[in-house]
Amino acid sequence: MKKMDVRNDPISRFISRMFETPALRTLPALQKEEQALQFLRQNGPQLQPILASVGINTVAGWQGTFERLAQQIKSLSDGMLEREIFRAVEERLHFAFYPALDASRQPPSASREEIVALCRRSANHPVSRRALSGSLSAVLADVTDKYIPQIWERRKYTYVEITKVQRLSLNAQECADLLRFVLLVRPAAYLHVMPDVQTGLEAGFAPVQQQALQRAFHAVAAQLAATPPALVRMALRSSLPYPSTQGLEAIPRLATIFALRGRALTPSLVVDRGADSPDKSWFNIARRNASWRGLDPRMLDELYSIASENGW
Amino acid sequence: MSTGQEMVGDRMKKIGDFFESLVVIVIIVALAHTFLDDFSILVGWTVAARRWLIWAGLVIDVIFTIEFFTRLYFALMRGQVTEYFFSERGWIDFIASVPLLLFNSLPSVLALLAGAGLLTGLGSFLNVLKVIKAVRIARILRLLRVVKLFRRIRYARSLLAQKHIAIITTISVTVLVAWMLVANLLGGLGILAGLERPFLGAQREHARYLGQGSADPAAVAARARTLAAFDPTLLVARPTGAATSWTRYDDSYYVTNFLAGDYEYFSMNGVESFFDGRPVSQATAKEGIVFFVAILLSVLAYILLYSPRFALDITDPIHVMKRGMEESGYNLEVKIPQRRAEEDVFELARLYNSIFLPLKDRGSTQQEQATRLGIDEIRSFVDKE
Repeated sequence: MKKMDVRNDPISRFISRMFETPALRTLPALQKEEQALQFLRQNGPQLQPILASVGINTVAGWQGTFERLAQQIKSLSDGMLEREIFRAVEERLHFAFYPALDASRQPPSASREEIVALCRRSANHPVSRRALSGSLSAVLADVTDKYIPQIWERRKYTYVEITKVQRLSLNAQECADLLRFVLLVRPAAYLHVMPDVQTGLEAGFAPVQQQALQRAFHAVAAQLAATPPALVRMALRSSLPYPSTQGLEAIPRLATIFALRGRALTPSLVVDRGADSPDKSWFNIARRNASWRGLDPRMLDELYSIASENGW
Repeated sequence: MSTGQEMVGDRMKKIGDFFESLVVIVIIVALAHTFLDDFSILVGWTVAARRWLIWAGLVIDVIFTIEFFTRLYFALMRGQVTEYFFSERGWIDFIASVPLLLFNSLPSVLALLAGAGLLTGLGSFLNVLKVIKAVRIARILRLLRVVKLFRRIRYARSLLAQKHIAIITTISVTVLVAWMLVANLLGGLGILAGLERPFLGAQREHARYLGQGSADPAAVAARARTLAAFDPTLLVARPTGAATSWTRYDDSYYVTNFLAGDYEYFSMNGVESFFDGRPVSQATAKEGIVFFVAILLSVLAYILLYSPRFALDITDPIHVMKRGMEESGYNLEVKIPQRRAEEDVFELARLYNSIFLPLKDRGSTQQEQATRLGIDEIRSFVDKE
């Protein structure tokens, strides 16, 4: 794609400045994109004279202008998203869980590149792109590193579910790393979900139909050729609801919660005096909506306690 | 983009803010002045320094009177005089300005301007100063203006907190000052007299002694000499309307050591007498300082102790709930102290946490997230370009 000169192109300049406003500056790329697009949709008619004043041609009508702006927003956020994916995979994901899951195995050298490619693919599908926003936020904000050591220290429900019921012999760091892997693969479960399907839940976070998941599994397993299929299947199962899915493992259940938490993270949120902390508030609301969202209420109870005790 | 009207509005707002800041400074100066006014008498500051304080008092009351009339004028222009007087506490602006100017600072300055003339023919004016002494206590009403400072205090940003604390402070200060005024008046009638009663009673007796017998200047002088030997507070004696028959000091001493309010004046049986009233003034000043500090401390306690408590109990939870209802991305729960969960506001907060927020969460997943970006932010950066 031909690179545009940001200094001379009024649309590029306008969108770049929009992304730097205090409301958007601290948000991850995909949240920036969603917020910017939503802003344009909500304020279209009011914006036209402002756009004209900065040299953006609005003669073709709002729809045409919107499409050009949206294209630029996506182009800009794609660039940022690329860097976020790179940071998440290269800096956060260590594949430390491989030896623990199978003593004889070392992480294949191709795995990292395959996961970057899968994330790029997810970013190109409208529903998966939304799912990716939650996953990337959770990974980059180190949500797993925050909670897993606490879960291991407490050795309560979630720990028992992971180590005794799912029978994974992992230490806290390995488990956190496994969850990062699951979070990054999870959006691919939505690759075969149509964007206009009404589920009552947010696109990218609603439970996936078994059929769509099966198709996604074949596609993703083929793409992650170096990764054991069982690992891919476990990651994709994090798009299934609890408790209606028989035998849904602890790791996918926990990954769904973290992906949703990542989706709601607001980096620059100022906590008012008299308000509870962001994590504590979120987990408390989530446990009240657990059955509706298809989340494990006991895991949410435990995460709520951890957030509460630590003032998160 | 800013229109001409917006620019004018901005300028007016800046002028308004400057005016408000100026008033706040004058309020603080006025409080310091009210304290120093009594303190200067108590510790015996020089007359020159006390003259400055009298002038400063006049300037302060003039500023407050101008402020009151300016606000009244604008309220009149808006057709909201009643609202200004009652809802916006214009009555405080009034009683802490006009009566103090008319009955305290202005007569004090007039007495100051009369200077030593008081001793040569304006003695009856000193009776007016006795009225002034009675209403001096009303200067503490200036403390009510402190309520205007509430909006600048960290814990009282909400209108509810400002209003609530202002009401409590206003009631407390007004009741206390009103009671002190009544007590002063009762003191004047001899019903609730203070430490000064025996002192003034003795001077009155001595004035009566000076009036007994002939009003001939030589006879008055002779009686004054006799009395002066055992009453060191007797300063001047003369037949009414005549020249001074006897004086303890020469006129220049009075000019440099006494202000009009420092004399006790009596006129009995054709003889006028002036006594040193400074011991009485000092006793009154001491009472004034004690009373001023007590009220100031209670006002500060409202601001520093009660105001944060009110904010934590009432306005903070309300603010969090209001933001949660207004902003789509703000989903923080209200912190509910365990011991106080049964209080009304926290009962409401519990319902907000347990019913409203989960329902909001469900609603937000079914629709597009509302944007946090506002059109004003866009205007702002476009304007800068």
